[in-house]
Amino acid sequence: MFNKKLVGTLMLIVGCFSSMLALESCKKETDTVVTPTTPGSTTTTTGSTTTTAGSGTVTSTGCSTLTTQAARVACAASAFLATLTDAQKTTVQLTLTKTNAIKWSNLPGGVSIRNGLEFSTLSVAQLTAAKAVIQAASGTAANEGYAEFSQTIAADDVLGITAGSGYSSGKYIIAFLGTPSATGTWMLQFGGHHYAQNITYNAGNAVSTTPSHQGIEPKTWTANGTTYAPLNQEQVAMAAMLASLSTAQLTTAKLGTSFSDVLLGPNKDGQFPATKLGLQVSTLTAAQKALVLAAIKPWTQDVDDATGTALLTIYEKELDATYISYSGNAALTANADYARIDGPSVWIEFVCQTGAVYRNEIHYHTIYRDHTRDYNGL
Amino acid sequence: MSKRFVFRSRPLWRLLLYGFLLVWCLVNSQTMAHPMPNSAVLLSIQQTGVRAQLQLPLNELQLAFGHDVAQFPETLVDRLGPELRAYILQHVRPVGPDGRPWRVIVNELAVQPVQQSPSGPYYELTAILLLSPPTGATPRRFSLTYDVITHQLVTHKALVSIRQDWDRSVYAEHPVEVGVIQLDVVNNRIPPLKIDLDEGSLWQGFMGMISLGISHIAGGTDHLLFLLVLLLPAPLLLLAEPGRRFRWGPFGGFRYSLTRLLWIVTAFTLGHSITLVLGALGWVRLPAQPVEILIGVSILVSALHAIRPLFPGKETWIAAGFGLVHGLAFASTLANLSLDSGRMALSILGFNLGIELMQLVVIAVTVPWLIWLSRTPAYRFIRMGGAVLAGIAALAWIVERYQGQSNVLSQWLEHMI
Repeated sequence: MFNKKLVGTLMLIVGCFSSMLALESCKKETDTVVTPTTPGSTTTTTGSTTTTAGSGTVTSTGCSTLTTQAARVACAASAFLATLTDAQKTTVQLTLTKTNAIKWSNLPGGVSIRNGLEFSTLSVAQLTAAKAVIQAASGTAANEGYAEFSQTIAADDVLGITAGSGYSSGKYIIAFLGTPSATGTWMLQFGGHHYAQNITYNAGNAVSTTPSHQGIEPKTWTANGTTYAPLNQEQVAMAAMLASLSTAQLTTAKLGTSFSDVLLGPNKDGQFPATKLGLQVSTLTAAQKALVLAAIKPWTQDVDDATGTALLTIYEKELDATYISYSGNAALTANADYARIDGPSVWIEFVCQTGAVYRNEIHYHTIYRDHTRDYNGL
Repeated sequence: MSKRFVFRSRPLWRLLLYGFLLVWCLVNSQTMAHPMPNSAVLLSIQQTGVRAQLQLPLNELQLAFGHDVAQFPETLVDRLGPELRAYILQHVRPVGPDGRPWRVIVNELAVQPVQQSPSGPYYELTAILLLSPPTGATPRRFSLTYDVITHQLVTHKALVSIRQDWDRSVYAEHPVEVGVIQLDVVNNRIPPLKIDLDEGSLWQGFMGMISLGISHIAGGTDHLLFLLVLLLPAPLLLLAEPGRRFRWGPFGGFRYSLTRLLWIVTAFTLGHSITLVLGALGWVRLPAQPVEILIGVSILVSALHAIRPLFPGKETWIAAGFGLVHGLAFASTLANLSLDSGRMALSILGFNLGIELMQLVVIAVTVPWLIWLSRTPAYRFIRMGGAVLAGIAALAWIVERYQGQSNVLSQWLEHMI
């Protein structure tokens, strides 16, 4: 009799342990089961919900007909806010301060190191509305803007399959700093692993679109017969710019130091070098200058088309006072290959790093800043 | 009546096996994210100088130093020892407040893998340096011009910490970060780091050792658990029947219980004090892993003993014997401090005092309960349940210490206790 009792007690204890542990592993599993995303124009599956979120398919009714860029994004933002609970609204909406603005990262980790609401916490309708805001704020060029964002978050699902639940398209965020409006000053933040946009609107216009960070791992992959390479244009344009240089120009452009990441990533705000290094663009031929501008262009195309074009015009006017430089190999294909464009306004860094998940491949980190416009001067 | 006390050990063994398998299965690991790994500079402030340990990630070192250092980590020190020493000397320059440079010596070089990190697994080179001020000058104030790796790889940074400063009660358990050495991007230079430490005292160091001893027991679940599980059956009588094995009987009386409890605790204290002194003075030294595994075994053995007497009447000797093992673990904390003899003596005294103080507190809290509960019929289940839980914990630790990596169960224990 005692035996049975004892065994029962022991069973209970061990049972407690096992169920506790089972619970623990369950928690992990719900995070892990993520179907890879096919970006572009097809179906996105996040957790157990299915939502159509391809480029061109989501629009907030009526918003696109408004006349100013800020009005269009604010309109989409209010449509999104209308889908949220009061608690969610409180979380997604922050005050516009420097402290809040600089809270972004190139790392995975979701909302723990960022502002706002994480996609994984949104319903189908809410996520659709959130992506409509992002789409309204983004450019429409192929492989840039919204398409690039969609592919970047899809890449994280690819990583998630290989490396576990730390990577997921559900870990991207959206946040508003200040109140979205057609005329006031406010900032839209969206991003996650390898992606960060900080766009400030004022008096109807997007007045600041930086800091803007993009990275990608894997740098290319194929899903359902389509090959994706969202930062390919950036790499090709930078490499073409360097390839056009003569041996003497390359010598001038080459930096003596090395880079295993970008220099002015997150939390390196306002730290532009006092002295520009490398090769001054004023010394280049017209064809070479055009290649420098073409190398800047993909980064300006991530925000809405009109704003991107306006910024590119500014950078074009400043080309002669702009410097280009590189480190490692000018082909930009190996670990620590690095290129920089440093103008009176524009600052772009592009670097190849050994993969964090795919250790035999390289992956890209890039940062686009503006000497005078980052965070609209916060 | 006697049948009630019969206990067949087979189901228990099966359950323990269950527990063991459970523990084994749940060993998992997950790494993610990838900031590029930093260097670490860990400073130990000593009487006449500063001992610095540099931890240099090989993939970053390769970009600055070349030579394919990340390709063949195992043979790196053999291949490039002299070059690496020269390279490090060239990039570490401490200078006193009076402008006089300090002497720098590079001692051991070693390469080791770093398994769990936010940057994923990688290899790092560790270098032990001795930084010595001119004779008579304080080792507590200097300016550290340092640009190992960063002189070339400008995205790299070094986190500088005080790992040990006995006079101010700073030990490896809680290093104090004093600064980051990195490129000042705006001015394109790497500014030196000013180290300026307040003076401490022997008294502060001694008190620090006492609290280190206290926290060692308070946080050292394994030591506590061993003692508690060994005490579990102490108030009980041993029943012996001709032809049968010993088993635990009923409560043996107040005086009986107290005597046995005191003997066990005293023996444990004596055991660990002996090896603490021997180990701290460096006379006896065993590698940490077998000692840690043995501590797990000691818990397992005393858990089994609490279920069924394994060494009836010999608890005192067992307590003393395993006390010797636990003492070796205590000693490792002190042996690594590399102190002068006066400070070492104060450390042994203070640390042991802290351990005994905490042990007394634990005994004062638990013994009345043990004595009271052991008079009730429910005590059998408390003893059995406690022993099984302790056994499972012991198995989790043994696996963890054998594999050199934590598992879900040991993490949970860490978290809970």
